[in-house]
Amino acid sequence: MSGVRFVTREIGSLAKPSWRVKAFAGRPLEEGDLAAAEEWGRRLEVKGHEALVEGLRGGSLNLPEIDDWAAIYAIRLLERVGLDVVYDGEQKRTEMYDHVAAFARGFEPRGTVRSFDNKYYAKAAVVEAPSVPGPQDVEEFEFVRAHTDRVVKVPLTGAYTMEDWSYDEHYGHEGGLGASAEHRFDARRRFVHDVAVNVIRPNVEGLVAAGAKWIQIDEPAATTKPDEVPLVVEGFNEATRGVEAKKSMHICFSDYSALWPAVMELEDCLELQLEFANRDSRELGTKDEDRPGYADTLALFKEHGYPGVGLGVLDIHSDFVEPAALVRDRILYAVEVLGDPDRIQVNPDCGLRTRSWDVVYEKLANMVQGTRLAEDALG
Amino acid sequence: MRAFAPGIYPRSEELVQATRDCERGRTSPKAVAEQVERDFQELVSVQRAADLSFLSDGMLGWQDLFRPLAEAVEGLDARPLTRFLDTNTFYRGVLVDGEPRLRNPLPPPDLPDREWIGTLPSPLAFARAARDEVSAEKLAANVLGPQVQAWMDAGAALIVLSEPFAAREGSADELLRGLAELPAAPLALQLPFGDAGSILPALAEASVSVIGIDFYATSLDALPSGFPKEILAGVVDARSSALEDPVEIARFVEELLAREPGAVYLTPNGDLQFVPEPIARQKLACLGHAAIELAEVA
Repeated sequence: MSGVRFVTREIGSLAKPSWRVKAFAGRPLEEGDLAAAEEWGRRLEVKGHEALVEGLRGGSLNLPEIDDWAAIYAIRLLERVGLDVVYDGEQKRTEMYDHVAAFARGFEPRGTVRSFDNKYYAKAAVVEAPSVPGPQDVEEFEFVRAHTDRVVKVPLTGAYTMEDWSYDEHYGHEGGLGASAEHRFDARRRFVHDVAVNVIRPNVEGLVAAGAKWIQIDEPAATTKPDEVPLVVEGFNEATRGVEAKKSMHICFSDYSALWPAVMELEDCLELQLEFANRDSRELGTKDEDRPGYADTLALFKEHGYPGVGLGVLDIHSDFVEPAALVRDRILYAVEVLGDPDRIQVNPDCGLRTRSWDVVYEKLANMVQGTRLAEDALG
Repeated sequence: MRAFAPGIYPRSEELVQATRDCERGRTSPKAVAEQVERDFQELVSVQRAADLSFLSDGMLGWQDLFRPLAEAVEGLDARPLTRFLDTNTFYRGVLVDGEPRLRNPLPPPDLPDREWIGTLPSPLAFARAARDEVSAEKLAANVLGPQVQAWMDAGAALIVLSEPFAAREGSADELLRGLAELPAAPLALQLPFGDAGSILPALAEASVSVIGIDFYATSLDALPSGFPKEILAGVVDARSSALEDPVEIARFVEELLAREPGAVYLTPNGDLQFVPEPIARQKLACLGHAAIELAEVA
């Protein structure tokens, strides 16, 4: 039996069940919504799920109760597929940016902006130095902690992403026209610092005081402006410095070559959890040419000796269900490149919120199975 | 002082909702098209109210800077999502699978003759979107040239070529070669969201009469005195929700005029699609106010 054991986990978000979405939107539930609650309750063996179905049918549940049920369903799904580390699929959050902007003081909603095609995102403006009245996610964490015996990893939106995805009506407002690049950079740096220290850090400290053992900082905007990666690092360090917990960072759909050497300054960051599968071939194989999505980025990990990589092995933008053998080969290739299985853990590319639960279940189950195949192969 | 707003304009909340509903099967493509028409008519009204010199159709049917054109071209197709510069907005890159040739030019907007401007990608931008699998010269000659000619024949007053890459790359050689393949016409080259300082001297030789500069990213000192081109001055920040002060803009433009460029027109520094529509319409009004302010000073 091999001594190699990879930790499997999700990254963050799952889609919200239709009964949860409609309840919060004030739209009437249809039979299909109730059937889904019933079917997944049975499939995941959610204790007492009949009460949810009855409550939804009779309209007797309030929104926080429905939120709790959605979180329990998500936790059970992640447990059922066999993950070692779980959370609640961010069922109680609107989405990663708005969750923070709507809670913190200093942000005001400004409206909708298109991301691509017919996809949009809500955007807020910072109008004063941001702050929070207290830690935001402790209650959410305690709920998860109370409903699973698996290891819990808490995903939090990072300070740089909050800065990059917000309009600035406070820090750089004066003298924008014709201002110097230094002026603009300084404004962004002060914004990142304030979010890290006055918004993210209180949450991190509160979570750890409540028993959280693993904090994941999500920075999808990390390389949007390649010369500002040092600000990403500063934001992480300011938010987590000295905190007694595992700390990691998730980044996706980015130019990873821009991360180095700045990420070497991340303090006590266990690993970078990155998206790879999106860029990869779906053919089996463990040679360089078989794994185009992994070769270049893993070479950076090898060259710079960054301690850990969270290996994205599932493409979250596709319904293609990665066969276990493909997951296995992606892991084995990473082991071959890095030469040390202890530096590798396994996850999807990103949160799976855009996929149906049927697809998510199959993808994650294959991810776990493929991970076991890799362990066997290494043995 | 003339002012206008090229590029992609944001969708109204009603249009956003219509497209979302359509994707979820709650409304029809016809209903979306009707909302697009309402957005278009409203945009025309807003531009007229702001007293802008030329009208734009807001490219409301364009998913991004390249797609409708790429779809109208034999030998090109849409690629996976690609981040647009340093924004949280994405475009479909352009896949080259043959000799590119414009099948049928995109139709002109329903706007009065010589009162409207059109926006197209520059030859270099188009080539970069295609990962340089086809040259800027070829795209200019086979695709953009015929499209420019078609719009000029249909009554365009000016065609703005959006060029987001050259300023960041710091080189204009390839861009100049591509521009040289375009027909003689009133053309402006706009450099959104980038510090144009390093390529401005080279652009003095460009075969276009107007150069668009983002003055939120480019220092005024970078503009050579007596620059031989007319300037599209990007004085409204299309990536900021903060509203500009027309008086401050006017003051800045006076400094710009002191450098004696060919002429100056006021524009946003890029597509207004990066702010929500209610903010964009206030920025259009601000642009108009700044132009009036300058006219009064003159």
